[in-house]
Amino acid sequence: MIAVMDVLTPPAQPLLKVEHLTTTFDAGKVSVKAVTDVSFDVFPGRVVGIVGESGSGKSVTARSIMGLLRAPGRVREGRVLLNGRNLIDLPEGEMRRIRGKQIAMVFQDPQAALNPVMRVGDQIAEALMVHGADAGSARDRAKALLAQVGIPDVERTIDQYPHEFSGGMRQRVVIAIALANDPALLIADEPTTALDVTIQAQILRLLADLGRELNVSIIMITHDMGVVAELCDDLIVMYGGRVVEQGPVRDIFANPRHPYTAALLKAVPRLDTAGDDPLIAIPGAPPVPLRLPPGCAFHPRCSNAVDKCRVEVPPLAPMGDERRSACWVAMAGGDVAPVAAEATMRARHGEREREPALRIEGLRTNVARPGGFLRTSDPVYAVDGVSLEVYPGETLGLVGESGCGKSTLSRTIMGINAVSEGRISVARRDVTAMEPEDRRQVSTTIQYIFQDPFASLNPRRTIGQSITEALNVVGITGAAAETRMVELLERVGLSQDYVPRYPYELSGGQRQRVGIARALSANPRILICDEPVSALDVSIQAQIISLLEELRDDLGLGYLFIAHDLSVVRHISDRVAVMYLGRIVEIGTAEEVYGNPQHPYTVALLSSTPEPNPDRSVENRTILTGDMPSPARPPSGCRFRTRCPIGPAFRSEREICNTTSPDLVETPNGQKAACHFAGEAEPGKA
Amino acid sequence: MTEISTPSHKRSRLNPTLARYLQAFTTPKGQIALALIVLLAGVALLAPVIYPQGHDLQTRDSLLPVSWAHPFGTDELGRDILVRSIYGLRTDLALASVAVPISMILGTFLGLSGALSPRLGVLVQRALDIIVGFPGLILAICVVLVLGAGWTALLVAIVVGGLPSFGRLARATLLSQQHQEYVIAARTLGVDKWRIMVRHILPNAIDPIIVQGAVFVVAAVFTEAALSIVGLGLQPPEPSLGILLNIGMRYITIAPFYILGPTLILLLLALAFSLLADALNRTVNRT
Repeated sequence: MIAVMDVLTPPAQPLLKVEHLTTTFDAGKVSVKAVTDVSFDVFPGRVVGIVGESGSGKSVTARSIMGLLRAPGRVREGRVLLNGRNLIDLPEGEMRRIRGKQIAMVFQDPQAALNPVMRVGDQIAEALMVHGADAGSARDRAKALLAQVGIPDVERTIDQYPHEFSGGMRQRVVIAIALANDPALLIADEPTTALDVTIQAQILRLLADLGRELNVSIIMITHDMGVVAELCDDLIVMYGGRVVEQGPVRDIFANPRHPYTAALLKAVPRLDTAGDDPLIAIPGAPPVPLRLPPGCAFHPRCSNAVDKCRVEVPPLAPMGDERRSACWVAMAGGDVAPVAAEATMRARHGEREREPALRIEGLRTNVARPGGFLRTSDPVYAVDGVSLEVYPGETLGLVGESGCGKSTLSRTIMGINAVSEGRISVARRDVTAMEPEDRRQVSTTIQYIFQDPFASLNPRRTIGQSITEALNVVGITGAAAETRMVELLERVGLSQDYVPRYPYELSGGQRQRVGIARALSANPRILICDEPVSALDVSIQAQIISLLEELRDDLGLGYLFIAHDLSVVRHISDRVAVMYLGRIVEIGTAEEVYGNPQHPYTVALLSSTPEPNPDRSVENRTILTGDMPSPARPPSGCRFRTRCPIGPAFRSEREICNTTSPDLVETPNGQKAACHFAGEAEPGKA
Repeated sequence: MTEISTPSHKRSRLNPTLARYLQAFTTPKGQIALALIVLLAGVALLAPVIYPQGHDLQTRDSLLPVSWAHPFGTDELGRDILVRSIYGLRTDLALASVAVPISMILGTFLGLSGALSPRLGVLVQRALDIIVGFPGLILAICVVLVLGAGWTALLVAIVVGGLPSFGRLARATLLSQQHQEYVIAARTLGVDKWRIMVRHILPNAIDPIIVQGAVFVVAAVFTEAALSIVGLGLQPPEPSLGILLNIGMRYITIAPFYILGPTLILLLLALAFSLLADALNRTVNRT
């Protein structure tokens, strides 16, 4: 589809022309420039991606275009021309007529974007009626729109409330509302970030199809290079409030002309490469708009920076056909590829210990709310018969969508949730049968790294206090604790200056380092990493992944690495387990599972994951329909059968899937898979 | 793997928590409250110095109206009501300054008891529900009937009456904080339940508890007054604002000015602590 677009030569008149846009936030005497001198064009029918990290100004740019800046933000300079008409300083009444009618917006969180007490049909009709439609025709149009965005059974669903929809369905409704008045431009602000990967694939395909069918231009704001490669024609890379590179997606991916773009592409783990080649992390953290470095904002993190970069802001200069880049080095014809600080190839422990540090057998966890005085509640098994082992010095990756039970599993191992059935053994000792006191002794050998480094540190306690507390638990106190604390902080790449600081003074990456240092204070043998990088900026993720790998290899730690990002899991894992609705559906080495997936769910997951590779064929993809069923009412037989592309939903003769739950058995390829027809599914066959 | 260090911020020398509460006194409301409390507490503390003759000096001039010599008039035994009001204030402040902190601390720990054992937490809440079920005065009367009128009974009645509000505020904090990741992080490290309660949950409960404490001072004084009005509080000749009101009511037809003075002092006291609670509330909820 992208190929089709490329053949069309863009017409001379851009739909939207942004010229020298500068937006500031004024607080008293301080004026913070969130967006500085941003210019770009959006041509009809094109999809423009704006990529950047937190604080890069990408969302402020979108809000400036929409005239939705929150006080004290205001556009200082520049023009936003929609079909030649300047939108800046347009009276609010005029702007309201343009919003929704000519420019529509899709927000990140569909839950927050829909009114919970209004029927979805009424919400779509409202969008039409404010622009002059009457109630009857608005309802008919609402039905047509819901059908267009792929909502089944429209006659019934039109009168439902948002809570009756799943996350993906809600985002479809939000898109339907945005499309209600046939806008010429759709601004989508991270529309798939809150969604699961199989749902994300559905929404991305929907946006791509709609863009083509309705000839809508789309501005796609995202932090995910994979999404950009999948959907966008043109790309704008923002850093520190400025555009640092812009041009056609393919050209930029093939040959980035700004060190930040180049580094970002190198820092993202890829699905198609094994974990052997190390990620080249970008050092430091993205700058805060309040304290932008002088000169080029990227120079403190740039491995190619020269003296000029430190003092003078580079202009966005043309670099060949349709390409522009703001870099002194690139302008001088220099190389912008990131230089790896040191060769970080480390020798892995050759022979793996054959004694698992953690063994789980037939684990079931009931997450139903406890019954009251007079009623008992039916059990809900979020984890339903899971067995796996983690060896010292290896990483077992655990992937699955939200609601599949992966977090419940990790919390059960840590003793936060109670074990309903099955056994957890740590270093050959069954902890499920232990008294709490003994259990605490053993369980310090397993530690946990949390997803959200903002929530997992007590905001009222300093870094030093947080780590000291962890050391006190294992009996290290006083001066010994002090010494050990500094050691631990240095181990994770922080100096002892951080000891008296509070968490709010630290960036996300630094906090996650503190979280890791705290987990290490108990001298664990196993670390359970629950989405340890998903809350972090893309450029920071690589730093934390590299740190985790380094610690694993130096200290011989075993990891249970839980994530929804398949590329990250592939990079760090030796073995991978795929979980669906409380069960492991496939488990094997990373090469086996990624190279030749045997379970249709694994095939769909891999196929749905956006990759930073614009040349990947989009047509040959397995995109699952529907959503994961609730663990309170799992389907009979095989749990995946309701969405399975090779199951009875598509092939009615496969009765066995309805009646018999498949066992996890070894397949000819080596790994184990729980499917009656293992190995049959291939990408694109659905 | 280099880290770019962020510039370190200046930190104030003063304990940040304390400094935050002190900010309440920079607002007009807080300043009025502070002035009133300093005035009332100062007069109450210095009462034996200002009026060394004590509160029981009887004269023949009974039930005099308001005059320069007796700004609040005199009572049925010819005692100066201003003097008795100030000694009464002394009694009430002493009572409140003992009972309120006890109720605060006890109520908070009862509310947080769920951190030690979820079942205990639920039980405590049901017990507090029972206390709430009684109207305040009835509850206080019950306590007096069991313990007999006097200081101890008043103290217990005030403490028990305050437990539900402190307990529930603390419970609300516990429920919202115990599923926060940093609390779970402490649990997974193996930190024991007492430490989690004291170090991680309690600090979050302190803000609303302090505000409620200021509100409760007013309630404590009113409880004393209410009990004394019905004759179950302190016993005469011991002065308290409640006793003055109790006796004053009997003479309301022949000497209506009798209750004026004690009422005024009671109102000033209530105003002072209400303003203080308001100022504290605004300060702690702003940051």
